[in-house]
Parts: sequence; C-alpha cells; structure tokens
Amino acid sequence: MTDRRENEAESSPRRRGQGKLEAHVLSVLKGAVEPVPVAWVQERLGGDLAYTTVITILTRLHGKGAVERERAGRSFVWTAVADEAGLAALRMRKVLDAETDRQAVLASFVTALSPHDELLLRELLAGEPGEPGEPGEPGESREGDR
Amino acid sequence: MGVFVFLPLVLPLTAWPIARLAESRLHPRTATRLLSAVAGVLAVCSTLCLGLLMIVGTAQLPGNPLPDAWSDPEVRAALPYDEVAGRAAIPALLAVLVSCGAAARRHVRVRRRAEGALVGLPETSVAVLPDGAPYAYALPGRRRGRRPGHRRGRVVVSTGMLAALTSRERRALFAHERAHLAGRHHRHLLAVHLAARANPFLRPLRTAVAYTAERWADEDAAAAVGSRRSVARAIGTAALLAPPATTAALPAVTGAGPVPRRVAALLRPAPTGRTWPSLFTTVGFAAWGAAVGATVSALSSANSAVTLFLVLRAATPM
Repeated sequence: MTDRRENEAESSPRRRGQGKLEAHVLSVLKGAVEPVPVAWVQERLGGDLAYTTVITILTRLHGKGAVERERAGRSFVWTAVADEAGLAALRMRKVLDAETDRQAVLASFVTALSPHDELLLRELLAGEPGEPGEPGEPGESREGDR
Repeated sequence: MGVFVFLPLVLPLTAWPIARLAESRLHPRTATRLLSAVAGVLAVCSTLCLGLLMIVGTAQLPGNPLPDAWSDPEVRAALPYDEVAGRAAIPALLAVLVSCGAAARRHVRVRRRAEGALVGLPETSVAVLPDGAPYAYALPGRRRGRRPGHRRGRVVVSTGMLAALTSRERRALFAHERAHLAGRHHRHLLAVHLAARANPFLRPLRTAVAYTAERWADEDAAAAVGSRRSVARAIGTAALLAPPATTAALPAVTGAGPVPRRVAALLRPAPTGRTWPSLFTTVGFAAWGAAVGATVSALSSANSAVTLFLVLRAATPM
C-alpha cells in the first residue's frame, strides 16, 4: 500500500519532467538548420544530460512522430518535424484516442451525432430565419474571416 | 424497521421523471445544481443502506471478525429477509466500491494525461493545438495546483475546429468553454458519474446533468457574446464537422439527441432566471418532489443507521 503511494507520488512529477524535457529537446532540435547528430543536441542542452538520456528522449519523440531520423554512417542524424505545439497536439491526440469514455471527464464542446440527429440539426440550421438587425450573418462573417 | 430499510435503494427510481422534467423545464443552472445534489444525496444514502445490510449479512458468516453477538436473532429480526438481503448486499457493496474507485481513478488519470500533453506550451488560458481533427474542450484546473498557471483551467482547441468556425462562432465557442471552467461544471459531472456507479437507478440523472451542464454553458456563452444564434450556429457547425456516432456510442436513441436539443433551445428565447418554482406547476411539483424524495431517503437512511447501530450496541457484550 505504502509502496504504491510512493510510486504514484514519484511517477507524476517524473512524467511531467519527461514531458518538459521532450519539449526542450524539440526546441533545441528546431534550431538546427540541417539533420544533426545526438552529440550536437546534447551539447546545446546544457551538458548535464547523459548521452543515452538524450537518445532516449529523441527516440520517444520519434515514436510520437515529432522528429525524423536518417542513418549517417553508424549512427542517426535527427530533424524536428513538429514544434512544441505540434508535439502537444500529438500527445493530446493519444490521450483522446486512448479514452473512449473521456466524455465523463473532459466536457467536450459537442457530442457525436446520430444520423437522425444530423438530419434534425441540418433542418434546424436551415430553417432558422435570419434575424433582422443582427450583424454577423454567416456569409458576411465568414468573408471577413478570410 | 420493516421494509423501509430498503427504501434508499429504490427511491432513486424517482430520478426518472424528475430528470426529464427538470432538464426540459427548469433553467439549466438550477437543473444542474438540483439534479447533481439530488444524485449525490440519493447515492450516499443508497450506499449507506448497502453498508448496513452488509454488516448484518457478514455477521452471519462463520469466521468473520465481527462480534458473535451481531449475528444474534434479535439483530437479524431488525431486518426483513435478512438471509437474502444480507448476503446479496456483500457483492453489491463491493461492486459499488470497485466501480466508483475505477471511475474516480480514470477521472484523475485522464486529467493528468491531458495536462501532461500540454507540458512545454506557454501557460496561456487557451491552448491551440495544430491538429486537423476538430475538437474543443475545457480542461479544469486544480484549486491547489503546484503550478499557479493551471489553477484556472484551460481551453484546449484544435486548429481543425477553429478553421471551420467564423470569428463570431469562435467567440461563442470560447465563451462556452470558459463558462464550463468558471462554473466548475466538471464537479457536477463527476458527482453524477459516481452517483450513477453507486446506484444504477441514478443513470438518468447522469445523462440529464451532462445535458443541462452543456445548456448552462450555452446560456452563459449566449449572454457573453450577446447572440443566441451565434452560439447555436457554432454548436451546429462543430457537430456537423465531427465524425458521426458509432452505434456503440448511442444505444437505442429515441427522440432527438443532445446537440439538436441544445441548438433548438438556443433558437428559442432565453429561459427565465427563476430559481425555485412554485409547487402548483408541473415543474414546481417535480422540483419539490425531488427535494422531498431526497430528504425522505436521507432520513430513512439515517433512521436505518441509528436503529441498526442501537441494536448492534445492545447486542455487543460489554
């Protein structure tokens, strides 16, 4: 029981730390103009991270689709393909896909429509009479948007 | 005590008509608060009742750690059908505890993972994620967060969603999600979710509160952007973007789903802000019925608890 509690207390900040590190490594990698080796990234990270740690983080980013690698001689060179927001989006997608019952936790803006609902909704939106005097008719607003 | 001891277990059946009336007739804010409070009270009473039945049930089992005197015929006389009820209560209570525990853990896990996904982004109140899939939701903050930036919660929205909306509709979307965060609607949702796990008869309340909480945020958003139609259009556009529901998600739907009902409600005039209706209307009758039902349930649970406690104390050798 105590073991489990200790584990939980430990794993949460560590996971958060890893998330921060991933974002940091990604931002460093974004600064590179061409594919770079691990040592290049490690050097610019400040030096207190082990070579293997940097490889681990890069591999994890690769698994998430945020970086790409290609073989150069006996090792890999790495390129960033997403920025921090892109990485967050990839991670968020994973969370959303993993939780089928997330509706109970994350109040989503809309829920999925059944075919019957879709018909009803289209009827409602089409049959809605334009309110005179209210600016922001769909056509006007959309044009202003583009 | 008689059969009244079982009352808290079946009183949640009153939730069905109450949920139906409240969600269609009361102001969404009142309905959300009323229904989640009723669900909470009824769930606690029902679980308490199960607990007492379990004590009597386990006292009969050989080798239990409870005092022998608790399996006295006198104690069991306090409970009708003690043989069946006591034994049935043991797995039932276990199921309730396991189910509620799992639901609570999942709640914490999803929130923590969603927070973890946003690590590394600037701590703004809106997080825009580059993703073609349209989604938007409110990620509640922690009241005693270690990081102050997360106390107020964040709105998470994908570029896929924003691209499909006009600027007015975007404002409506943000106002809607901010209303969720400001009203801390996730607490109501968690309460009814756990309540529905504690007593399956309370499930209609969970569905009803999921709907009224959205309606509450819709109304707040309509007030904030000053146009009910913009909110209606934003909901409609967003809903038509999302992939259609699979059959598993919506079993046996009769009548309109939540999204068309929300849009239809927004195209009607705003609901009146009256908080507590008179007894002599249908709505008032339902609201008062809910209040009375919850009170009777609470009292009968308390009564059962006190009586059983006294019986058990009398039976305990000093």
